[in-house]
Amino acid sequence: MDKRKALKKGLIFTAFLALIVFISGVALTVTYRLVQDRIIQQKRIKVEKMIKGIFSDMTDYTYDKDEDLYLIYSSGNLIGYAFLAKGKGYGGEIDILVGLEDENTVKGIRIVRHSETPGLGSRITGDFFLAQFKNINIDDVFLKSEGGKIDAITGSTISSKAVTEAVYKAAKEKVRLLEK
Amino acid sequence: MNIFKELKKGIIELNPTFVLVLGLCPTLAVSTSVDNAIGMGISATFVLICSNILISAIRKFVPRLVRIPTFIVIIATFVTIVQITLQAYLPPLYEALGIYVPLIVVNCIILGRAEAFASKNPVLYSIADGIGIGIGFTVALILISFLREVFGTGRIRLFGHEIFKLPVLGSHPLLVFILPPGAFLVIALILGLFRYTGVIKGE
Repeated sequence: MDKRKALKKGLIFTAFLALIVFISGVALTVTYRLVQDRIIQQKRIKVEKMIKGIFSDMTDYTYDKDEDLYLIYSSGNLIGYAFLAKGKGYGGEIDILVGLEDENTVKGIRIVRHSETPGLGSRITGDFFLAQFKNINIDDVFLKSEGGKIDAITGSTISSKAVTEAVYKAAKEKVRLLEK
Repeated sequence: MNIFKELKKGIIELNPTFVLVLGLCPTLAVSTSVDNAIGMGISATFVLICSNILISAIRKFVPRLVRIPTFIVIIATFVTIVQITLQAYLPPLYEALGIYVPLIVVNCIILGRAEAFASKNPVLYSIADGIGIGIGFTVALILISFLREVFGTGRIRLFGHEIFKLPVLGSHPLLVFILPPGAFLVIALILGLFRYTGVIKGE
């Protein structure tokens, strides 16, 4: 008799928890459906703003899904490419948007996402650092200590190196694709 | 029992950070700037009020043995709602708070209030408790992050606008305050100061 009672109690608990989880699932699905479009839109706006920051004369762009490449146009003419590069920084992954003018030149870069130390590595998002990537030959995208043309940020060599390495590697890879 | 008292106690007598000393992990992590502190404070307060209301409303139906998993599911649901809403409407804040939004789920302040207060008291009082504790948490976060930002960067920036910049500290900030050790130092010093001056009485 006792066993039966315990079983019944257990079933009630299980049913109660299942009901709670079910309600929670419904609430989350509804919320997600409501804001889904806006999240996608926000991501697009952000990337668009960053591309515009690199290519100031951009009027239009298309996204090539297979090559993961943004093609940048200015009144109908192709003026460059943009793509995302991933670097391994001090605090985690760094997502970098790289703009290429042609097969040899980097037009500029922007940091999309990072988790570097605030006040130190986070300065990779600052103008001082980013401006160095303006119209630079891909082969010069190394720190000065490695024979390149980029000044590392004082106290954040790892973050600086992560950015230059990621930009160089991704740019070379895309150029190989483009030349095909 | 009166509602005003429940509201006030969370700010001073039962301040979650300085008296209960709960939820220190997110406090240490997000108090690097006043911006983050406000964002985290408001998000946590919202979750706290919502979870307090719901938990208090269903407190008579929840079987005692499974109350903790029930609370966790309810809190996790509200946190996820906050997370996707921030992502949709305030992406810069969402990025600044990073991993700490999902971590509100395990913020022991919220589960603590659910267990200690909302599961035993009527809805109205639970709302007051949530608001009070939420304000207490937010104020503590702002106080800590203000000191850390001032010493660690020499300036205060609010939502992208610079409020002020100190002359010497601005160019030579004491970086340690922004880094994790600074969080421990600042929290310990504030706690010590409050206890010493008797503003807050320890148990």
